Amino acid sequence: MSYGSTPVLVDVDLTVAEGAGVCITGENGIGKSTLLRCISSLQSPDAGEIEVFGGPPGSTPEFWRAVATTVEPPTWYPGLTAREHAELVCRAHGVDAEESGVDEALERFGLASHADAIPPSLSSGQKQRLTLALILLRPSKLLILDEPEQRLDPDGRATVAAMIAEYLAGGGSVLMASHDDVFSSAAGMSPISMTDLHPVQA
Amino acid sequence: MTEAAVSVTEVRGWVRKRQAAHKERGETLGNFYFALLFIAIVGGMLHRQLAVVFWPSVPNASQLAGVSIIVALIGGLYIALRRLGPLALSRPASSWLLMAPVSRRVLLLPSLGAAMAIAAMTGALGALAIMGHVLARPLAEQVVALPLLGALAANVLLLIALAAQADRWWSGLSDTIAYLLLAAGLAGLVVDSAVHAPRAPAGWPPAGSVLPVVGALALIVLIFFALAVRTLGRTPNDRILEAAKTAGTLADSAFGVEPSFVTDMLERRYWARRKLRSMRLWRRVPVLTAQDLLLLRRRPRRLLWLAGGAALPSLFVSAPGWVLAIAVVLGGLFAGGVTTSNVRTDTGNPWMLRMLGISSRDSVLQRCYVPVALATIWYTAALSLLQILGELPAGPWWALGIVLGPVGGVAAVRKARTGFVNNSILPFDTPMGSFSPGPLIASLAGVDVLLLGVPTIVLIALGNPLDLTGVIIQATLSVLAVRAYLAGTTAKDRVELSTH
Repeated sequence: MSYGSTPVLVDVDLTVAEGAGVCITGENGIGKSTLLRCISSLQSPDAGEIEVFGGPPGSTPEFWRAVATTVEPPTWYPGLTAREHAELVCRAHGVDAEESGVDEALERFGLASHADAIPPSLSSGQKQRLTLALILLRPSKLLILDEPEQRLDPDGRATVAAMIAEYLAGGGSVLMASHDDVFSSAAGMSPISMTDLHPVQA
Repeated sequence: MTEAAVSVTEVRGWVRKRQAAHKERGETLGNFYFALLFIAIVGGMLHRQLAVVFWPSVPNASQLAGVSIIVALIGGLYIALRRLGPLALSRPASSWLLMAPVSRRVLLLPSLGAAMAIAAMTGALGALAIMGHVLARPLAEQVVALPLLGALAANVLLLIALAAQADRWWSGLSDTIAYLLLAAGLAGLVVDSAVHAPRAPAGWPPAGSVLPVVGALALIVLIFFALAVRTLGRTPNDRILEAAKTAGTLADSAFGVEPSFVTDMLERRYWARRKLRSMRLWRRVPVLTAQDLLLLRRRPRRLLWLAGGAALPSLFVSAPGWVLAIAVVLGGLFAGGVTTSNVRTDTGNPWMLRMLGISSRDSVLQRCYVPVALATIWYTAALSLLQILGELPAGPWWALGIVLGPVGGVAAVRKARTGFVNNSILPFDTPMGSFSPGPLIASLAGVDVLLLGVPTIVLIALGNPLDLTGVIIQATLSVLAVRAYLAGTTAKDRVELSTH
């Protein structure tokens, strides 16, 4: 995978077992986000093979019902409050909002008092909390998270780390990129350096 | 307040000199020359059409139409001024000079002057057009001062809007009154079309009343202007910044030929001002339809305009039949567009669609229900009203409205799915200069689906009594339109709305 004449990912080899949590670490620009984008099917590699749950990643509804990601910046519907976004996501997955604990999740992420706010009016940290709350509320088998600790305060990081750990304990798989070792270890992730995935460095 | 430390004139002069260093000699003069040349060429090409708009050879509108246009213009101009600011700065000036230790009043005065000049020109042109269309000829000498009256009236509106910009308690009230005036004006025009109101009598308005009104308005403008200049420095920063963003977005939109910049800005601002309370999505309908219904419930004013708008095709009853028919069919596109901002959001960034895990086929189908219902109700109301007014012959026109609904709804969804204007298409070279087809193609999105409303257009244009055959033909085409649209542009195995 390269940007113009600059190779970013060369001979990368990574396997994440089902039910495992892997945190990719490495300096800026080493290709962590690009790798996550390729795995999420949001970017096509120049060459190579990617498989998610035994098949190529794609844009099918089945793929996106199994995989939830924060690799892309979120978008918000006009005139829909934070709570209604959460209810919409639950309903689309056939889950009852009350039963799946929308209000508890908003409370846990410190968004209960902002449940009636429209997401664009929230601070960047609150938007990040809401994005993670939506991802963790809906059913999925794999989370692909790009620096989920970004813009979160220490309490927020601890909450998100605990929820990711719960997700792993529930049998889900997590692939994440992060610069925060404390956060990833609190989330129960196994760290792997991007340089270890690159047998041939550009 | 501390004394301004730096003269605005000096700062602006310094900025101009630095900008001049990057420009070629005579560039500003060249731009001015080309602008004048452009106006002269376009004026030369369109002078006949302009004459029809502003000064037809014989007055052709009734007195009621004249009064209605005046009322609608007052409401419309006030709304436009409030949307634009009316006091705005350029984006660089709002970033650098608004926060600088310079006199706010001197900084903002040129903007006020420009806004007053533009408002005056708009008011004068409006008055001229009303004179040309309504007043019986020959005109009395004093009536010639009506454009001046229009210019002064527009400036009164501008200065009221300027006071409202400072977020007075009556700002919201004044906006509501302006909307009501616009609606009343349009209603007057509809009534005028329906009853064929009489022409203005000779000697209306009384020549003797024009100059006193001009004098009174001039005095009001003078007093309001003095008050405005006195309080200009106290205009809140956030209001000026908002107006600067509006001006910048309008410039971006014009420069990039991308109207969605303005639509998005208006949408963002509307919701930013609203205080919402979370509601439960209706369980008995598909989830995205429930979301559209919630959005619909939160835009009651739009629904009101839609209801009033069903009477607007009556304005075209004097025009050829095909014009009335096209006006009716186009109306459904606007009616169906009340909730399509959700589709626009999904087209711009499919993150939420991926989060929801719904196929594009299902999501577009669920998003079509509300637009189709709105277009159906609107068409049925518009055609029934035309029949009640006696402008359509006998027949089940309401049934034609019902079967035409899917075409309008699907056209609205298609329009919302267009996304950004594609400016990468190679421009055509024409004798008039190069022409970029991107904006034209984007503007036709949705309108192309309306072509499936051709049976309705033909039926209205012919003016013959309507029978069930016409309704069945339209119904067949409408069903085909929806099926072909869903089959051709969506897929069961793709989440994203666009194939790119």
